[in-house]
Amino acid sequence: MDTLMQYAWLIPLFPLLAFIVIVSFGRQLKEGAAAVGILFTAVSFGLAVLTFWQRFQEGATDYKFSIDWLKVGDIVITMGFEINQLNALMLLIVTLVSLLVQIYSKGYMHGDERFPVFYQYLALFTFSMLGLVIAPNLLQIYIFWELVGVCSFLLVGYYYFKPEAKAAAKKAFIVTRIGDLGLFIGICLLFWWTGSFELSQIFDSIALGKLEPWMITLAAILIFVGAIGKSGQFPLHTWLPDAMEGPTPVSALIHAATMVAAGVYLVAATYPLFIASDAALNVVAYIGGFTAIFAASIGLTQKDIKRVLAYSTVSQLGYMMLALGVAGAAGYVAGTFHLMTHAFFKALLFLGAGSVIHAVHTQNVFEMGGLWKKMPITALTFLIGCLAIAGIFPFAGFWSKEAILGAVYEAHRYDLLFIAILAAFFTAFYMFRLFFLTFAGEARGKHEAHESPGVMTGPLLILALLAIVAGFINTPYAPVFGDWLLSGEVGTIIEDVFGAGEGHAAAWLQIAALGVSILGILLAWLMYGKRAIPSDAIPEAMPWLYQLSYRKYFVDEFYHYVVVVPLGWLGYLLNLFDKYIVDGLVSLIAKITRGIGALHGRAQNGQVQSYGAMVLFGLLLLIVAITLTAQGGGVLGIGQ
Amino acid sequence: MGLANSILLTLIVFSPLLAVLILAFVPRHQGGVIKKIGVLGTLLPLALSLMLFASFNYESSGLQFTETAKWISIPVGLQQSGAIFSFDLGYELGVDGISMPLIVLTAIIATLAAVASWNQKKRLKEYFILFHLLLIGMFGVFASQNLFLFFIFFELTLVPTYFLIGIWGYGEREKAANKFLLYNGIGSAVMLIAFIVLFMYLNTMNMDKIAEILASSGNPASAAMSPEFRFGLFLAIFIAFAIKLPVFPFHTWMLKVHVQAPPAIVMIHSGILLKMGAYGLLRMGIGFFPEQAYQFATWMAVLGIINILYGAVLAFVQKDLKMVMAYSSISHMGIVLLGFAAMNTIGFQGAMFQVISHGFISALLFFLIGMIWERTKTSMIDELGGLAKSMPFASGIMLAGAMASLGLPGMSGFISEFFAFLGLFGQMPILAAIGTLGIVLTAVYLLRAVLKTTFGPTPGRFAGVADAQPMEVVPLVVLLGFIILIGVYPAVLANPLQQTLKTIVPIVTGIGG
Repeated sequence: MDTLMQYAWLIPLFPLLAFIVIVSFGRQLKEGAAAVGILFTAVSFGLAVLTFWQRFQEGATDYKFSIDWLKVGDIVITMGFEINQLNALMLLIVTLVSLLVQIYSKGYMHGDERFPVFYQYLALFTFSMLGLVIAPNLLQIYIFWELVGVCSFLLVGYYYFKPEAKAAAKKAFIVTRIGDLGLFIGICLLFWWTGSFELSQIFDSIALGKLEPWMITLAAILIFVGAIGKSGQFPLHTWLPDAMEGPTPVSALIHAATMVAAGVYLVAATYPLFIASDAALNVVAYIGGFTAIFAASIGLTQKDIKRVLAYSTVSQLGYMMLALGVAGAAGYVAGTFHLMTHAFFKALLFLGAGSVIHAVHTQNVFEMGGLWKKMPITALTFLIGCLAIAGIFPFAGFWSKEAILGAVYEAHRYDLLFIAILAAFFTAFYMFRLFFLTFAGEARGKHEAHESPGVMTGPLLILALLAIVAGFINTPYAPVFGDWLLSGEVGTIIEDVFGAGEGHAAAWLQIAALGVSILGILLAWLMYGKRAIPSDAIPEAMPWLYQLSYRKYFVDEFYHYVVVVPLGWLGYLLNLFDKYIVDGLVSLIAKITRGIGALHGRAQNGQVQSYGAMVLFGLLLLIVAITLTAQGGGVLGIGQ
Repeated sequence: MGLANSILLTLIVFSPLLAVLILAFVPRHQGGVIKKIGVLGTLLPLALSLMLFASFNYESSGLQFTETAKWISIPVGLQQSGAIFSFDLGYELGVDGISMPLIVLTAIIATLAAVASWNQKKRLKEYFILFHLLLIGMFGVFASQNLFLFFIFFELTLVPTYFLIGIWGYGEREKAANKFLLYNGIGSAVMLIAFIVLFMYLNTMNMDKIAEILASSGNPASAAMSPEFRFGLFLAIFIAFAIKLPVFPFHTWMLKVHVQAPPAIVMIHSGILLKMGAYGLLRMGIGFFPEQAYQFATWMAVLGIINILYGAVLAFVQKDLKMVMAYSSISHMGIVLLGFAAMNTIGFQGAMFQVISHGFISALLFFLIGMIWERTKTSMIDELGGLAKSMPFASGIMLAGAMASLGLPGMSGFISEFFAFLGLFGQMPILAAIGTLGIVLTAVYLLRAVLKTTFGPTPGRFAGVADAQPMEVVPLVVLLGFIILIGVYPAVLANPLQQTLKTIVPIVTGIGG
């Protein structure tokens, strides 16, 4: 029964092989690198499907394997892999999206000078991401966590000659690293408190009550800080919209579907730690909820198609965190479920946006328009993506968003519920603002747009299909996915703490949420579709509010003046200190020494009397010294 | 094999003499021949030290490949029994799990530095003779088991380095060489005083014996040394090696050296010579006076954090790539101090990993800076830019080197950083948490420097510069190979370190992990 899961370690290995092949033969392969990447990822995808299918069977159990990696003193650190429900699901999502994005990129990146390098990075990323999701211990998670970060950095900075790309890559790396610091400290502390990096052993220690409550809270919050960085949660969200400087397929794969969801995955994977601390859960819930509404309100006014999608990603990730934070079986399922559906429809939206950018060579939505007829497949699939993210029945987003609202409602967190519904309204509005500006009306730019080739529209169609049907695996009437997800070890721990939850909204809540979304779409249609309401009505009525949103609440400016500039000044001052005080002091000592030397030189004056005086003085000194030290036990120590 | 093994260390230490002798007979105008001898000469110690690595016994915690011979005996007086009392200074070599990897590191970096000297044009004969003399000194330092011998070899490294900086360096080379000598001279003087005092009290120069006597409270010689007195000696040894490492505020000499010395010498200097400070600290400071080191641990941690943060902030504002890397070295040596301050196996292991890892990484980065200077005649960050277009391979390696330096997992820098911090978290979690700020700052200054150099638009004047040549590819690939090897399979280094580090820790605290 378990035979296939034993080979799950092969899933990340194939993309690694692809990476090595493309690094070694990139120059010869040229655009053939795409074939290598696609082929190896396809094999991984096939294996992931089989692994998932096997784990999905009735009565399947987790599989864990590890080998010794390093001995430090008496501690043995292991590396290995684990297949449980969450891991199996993530393997499936990552290999699928990666495969589709690589197929798509064959068309999108066609003609690029560094084509093989692009596929090299994609393969390395896929390897790292898969390594991350099958890791059974925190150290291994951290290792791959950093590796996906560096791949993200490399891909954001893919157009290295563009100053914006350079700045964005640097920002992405540094801001996420600030978050990683929390994870780093959390791992170190947990190691000393529980004696292990293994997740299972850490959960056991918590269950046995070996940790004080404050330790659990601190460790959980530190791990969450890592998740904040990676998943672009407030206040470390600033890097994610800038990361849109990377090629669009990268935005779809890394900055929408997989890597940025790693933060959510991390919280889910260490969930027993979080549910042992109410304080930590509250932090997760409120940061998530705040990010959801905060990012959505920025998305309302952005003009760059990718930036709107980026803020939407930040906002949706906030949703997932919110679900995990309100806790209970329902929250856990809802957060994970939304992670999956979001991966499909957000990848779809980004690839659709890529298709548009490919055709019109601009990212400004106000220079687009009228593409519905020119790019029918892109337009239709993009519409499906918009309906899914807006949570319209019966698209995937409807079911997962409804699950989140249900979980929040069930936990009686009405403040968070209000935020979540308001964010849903914003989401529907800005997504359809985007849709109408891009596809409806007359063409505003000077471009000859035409539909993208089959390698690009093919993945769009597959993702569109998933965006329609993926929700049906977890409807309130047949929560197959939820039951399965909770049937494992983590599920048992959750149910021990909270009891089994329903997690599905009351009928009125479903209708209310749907109504709010439709209202958002309607408003967008009135403003940007029918143009019954002038689109500059709000900016003119409340310019400061518009500016606040358009300038992203000035968070970047805040960081610039509060962190970056002072660091520069500190460096400048320390530089002077180093040059004139530290180094100067030593030079001073050297000068003093030289001075004493000169003084000594003056003593060599050739007068016998002064020599005699010096000899006498020296003798006196010697006698004193010997008398003093003789009592101290004989410094010379001879003949003892 | 048996005979070879019994004098293997002597062979390694003095094998560079062969090249010195041959070079002495080559006419100075035959530059090509001299260069070849210079490079090939380093292969002999490399091969021998790989033999050492291969036949090293991982199970043993003590000294291996020991060699002892009577060397100098100075009669100083008569004992009451009438026998002549004399100072015996032996010739004692040996390696354990700490010094063996350092010898291998020295041999590898030396060969690559010799290759990196390929572009050297001035006074080749003297250059390579001094280069090989320097090698003897470095091997000797790590192989000596006797304070007297250690001191001689330690001093032997200073003289060739002084000339190599002063003659073959950049613009202000003489000033840098003088500063180098001044500081290291002071360090040596302090060290010498400490050694003499130890000798006067314990009547031996053998390192193992000294540690043994100092640890046994029953020994009268040991009993004669009060804890305060021992603390003074520990402090003297600490200062002597802190100058070498270097520890704030003794670091300014090293900045000048890194900026002014020729690239190959900086590779050696930053890769190995600084590491003698770490080695001495562990072997003599902590090894001889574990209790005093334990008392001093908090200060060591504080100094380590100052090094890390001070170095990182200063590296952030430097205009010269070489200065960035110089301050980066200061910052990274702070991690060594943190590992020592942890006073547990994990911390020591992290510190020793950092010593080796930084050796490879800094050699790689300084070699690259040398390459860039060779092509663009500048190392000023503002004048550089966009090199990735004309030098994609070298730029890629440079980014990889920077990633290794900032502790990216999968590379050696991560292992060392992680374990040094992990060790300290077990003892002083708050100080350790403050220190981790360095992890972010390192990313900040390294990315600033490297991205400004290689990313961005390519100025016209750099459009035609050549990428790495075959002679340059070798060191780049080999160094990166070792960095990744240690990062992915750290056991390669942890196995030899294991047993020896285990013996130090129980002495220190009695705490195992």
